[in-house]
Amino acid sequence: MKYKGHILEVNNLCLSLCNSDGTPVRILNDLTFNVRSGEILGLIGDSGSGKTMTALAISGLLSEFAKIDSGDIIFEGEDLVKKSAKERRMLLGEKIGIIFQDPSSALDPLQTVESNLSEIISIRDGDKEEGHKRIINMLKTVGFEDPEQIAKRYPHRLSGGQRQRVLIAGAALMNPSLLIADEPTSSLDTVTSMSIMQLLHEMCQEMGISILFISHNLNAVRNFCDRVMVMKEGTIVDYDTSWDIMGQPKSAFTAELLMKSRLDPDKLGISQGRSQEGAPSVLSAEGLSAGYRYADFRNKKTNAVIHDINFEILEGDCVGLIGSSGCGKTTLVKTILGLNNPTSGTVHKNGRVAAVFQDPVSSLNPAHTVRWHLKEALKASGRTLSKTEQEPYFLKILEDVGLSAKHLTRFPHQMSGGQRQKAAIAMCLVQEPSVIIADEPFSALDASSQASIIKLLSDINTKKGTTMLIVSHNLRVIRAMCSKVLVMDKGKIVESGDTDKILENPSAEATHKLLKARMYGV
Amino acid sequence: MGSTVRSALIKICEFLLTALLVSFFTFVVFSIIPGDTARVMLGPNASEEQVQALREELGLDAPLATRYISWLGDAAKGDFGKSISFGQPVGELIASRLPVTLGMSLIALIFVLVISFPMAAFCSRNPGDLTDKTLSTAGHILFAIPPFALSMMLILLFSKCFHIFAAGRYTAPSANFGAYLVSLLLPSFCIALPKIAMTFKFLRASMIEYSRGDFVRTAKSHGLSDLRIMLRHIIPNSAVSSVTVISLVLSDILGGSLIVEQVFNLPGLGRLLLSAISRRDFPLLSGIVFYLAMITVLLYFLSDVISAMIDPRIRDGRAST
Repeated sequence: MKYKGHILEVNNLCLSLCNSDGTPVRILNDLTFNVRSGEILGLIGDSGSGKTMTALAISGLLSEFAKIDSGDIIFEGEDLVKKSAKERRMLLGEKIGIIFQDPSSALDPLQTVESNLSEIISIRDGDKEEGHKRIINMLKTVGFEDPEQIAKRYPHRLSGGQRQRVLIAGAALMNPSLLIADEPTSSLDTVTSMSIMQLLHEMCQEMGISILFISHNLNAVRNFCDRVMVMKEGTIVDYDTSWDIMGQPKSAFTAELLMKSRLDPDKLGISQGRSQEGAPSVLSAEGLSAGYRYADFRNKKTNAVIHDINFEILEGDCVGLIGSSGCGKTTLVKTILGLNNPTSGTVHKNGRVAAVFQDPVSSLNPAHTVRWHLKEALKASGRTLSKTEQEPYFLKILEDVGLSAKHLTRFPHQMSGGQRQKAAIAMCLVQEPSVIIADEPFSALDASSQASIIKLLSDINTKKGTTMLIVSHNLRVIRAMCSKVLVMDKGKIVESGDTDKILENPSAEATHKLLKARMYGV
Repeated sequence: MGSTVRSALIKICEFLLTALLVSFFTFVVFSIIPGDTARVMLGPNASEEQVQALREELGLDAPLATRYISWLGDAAKGDFGKSISFGQPVGELIASRLPVTLGMSLIALIFVLVISFPMAAFCSRNPGDLTDKTLSTAGHILFAIPPFALSMMLILLFSKCFHIFAAGRYTAPSANFGAYLVSLLLPSFCIALPKIAMTFKFLRASMIEYSRGDFVRTAKSHGLSDLRIMLRHIIPNSAVSSVTVISLVLSDILGGSLIVEQVFNLPGLGRLLLSAISRRDFPLLSGIVFYLAMITVLLYFLSDVISAMIDPRIRDGRAST
């Protein structure tokens, strides 16, 4: 029996987080909102705006450093703030479900999918047969074609999207009244995230589950949420039906966020990077095939991932590489960079190739400062500069990427995601490459940082003339930046040529699929 | 199933190869270190001719390779030759001392597992609170005390003050198995204490890390109680990462037992080894070293097998974590 009326009411919620020296810092400020029964409420904001804290406060999973100062959280008529930790944990399994952003380690690696899910059922009613049937049915509901097989698998044999489906299946098995989805699609590719959002939508419609959907991309939720609230620095700046918010945002911040998540090339001031007539080839591949090696016990095997790849990139071009997850984009990038040996075919490079990767957190060494990273990059490129030349050179590069002298001495953890990615780009520039390969450089960042990194890369391409190969699943970005595009599917390049032509008139089925996902607004 | 059998065969071949290498190095090392076995056997008064005659009789004048092969052939049959100082076959001597050392090591391992796991689980629940701080400090102190000093303190405490343990009394397992276990209890505990501290420290850190991990958060969102999460998720995952550490601890335990035997006056391999060294009894020495090395290799082999049994990622040839 689902609760009628407002399933969740948050009134004047204030929350503080203790700093490392013990002083409390206000994170959420006087938050008031409600979730109606059976609706999807979008919660949008940049990273650090307090979205996840709100989710954790409602679910009762706050860390020991966070403290609710005042306000109440009324769920189905009961005030959660007054409940004990034990009662709240019970509620979490019964009525409130929560799924998180990164599915990669959210399942116990030592247990099969079924065993991971069975804990939800076994703490309620014990019947094993019945439990197995329910799990299989639920896996089917979330879109697995062979649920019996999936149930027997271990998490490391599932892709990111499959793991997120398993987690959603877990949340749905509890049949909660409220599901909190904290950026459930941010780490997934376009096609997968579209299917995940559809799945959540169906759960809302068919099972009557209310959903609090958290995202940084305002544009992505426009067709998906009934109402949207926009958060900035712990306060709600906009709160309305999604139609009204998208049509005429009340606050300037929402308008800016909307502009950034739409990635309007004119407003961002970027244009497609194009090579000049008769430009030489800087990077090309001929009949390139590669895969990754794995050991089945000690039995070494190679699993072919990309087959017979041919392309040519001319100096000054900005080329997009698109495709759904698992199509071999990253393997291709690794093979070009020489991090992976090709099984056949060749890569021709004219000059140095530098790379920027998706996750700026793990691609920088946490023990060293930005200066150290730049020195390493300089060493790697084989150039030497005297001590007196080095410092001004680094400062100039930092200025080029939009950082300043003070960042030279910063450690990675002292910078935001966008700043880290800028530092990674600075490392590329230090090497004076002829080509920069950027493998999903935006997807780990929030909308504002995304926009600034896109602008930066585009400027490097159009103003400095550095050739770019951008790997992304975001067609909007590719269209704004790249004059040419390569479409990959199942390890092969299925389509290539002029970006505008291909995206307006796609011939390959894979391109159609990607475009369809974009229509959905992901 | 075929691949499982194959991989088991490969593992066994690896094990045999390691054993071969270990035996080779043991033999070579004891052949090149100074000291002449024939001279030691005959004493300082023997003439050069007598020594030379004995060398020929023992086959010591043959080239190294020939000697190694014949030694290996004998060793494969379990024959390490005759001990010079005891006049008994080396295999028999080792076999008679093995129950002490192995029994002690096993009991010590049980102590380590039974004490460090619950202690780490308990401390990792509220890291930094008073219990955690007290136990962690105690662990550091225990870790810092050398086993022989610890042994003497415990003998003083349990034998002299409380009179509940008779130090230096040993009963063979064939005579009275219960008394055998009791006689090994305190020495095993002495070996185990620093290792408990070490394993505890490692497990505590790994459990704290896992308890902040994503899959524990998922389990919480599924409504599981803290106790269930500990038993079902945190302990098994920490166990995987601790298998390697525990196999290291075990070979340390073997090493530690050599010293503790001396203090407790137990007739184990350690005392045999010491007397073999002091009397330049090369056949005995190389036999014992080979035995201990084989046990260590076997332990690493077992730890590989156990890791693969618990962790599906290792079975698939991927590194854990």
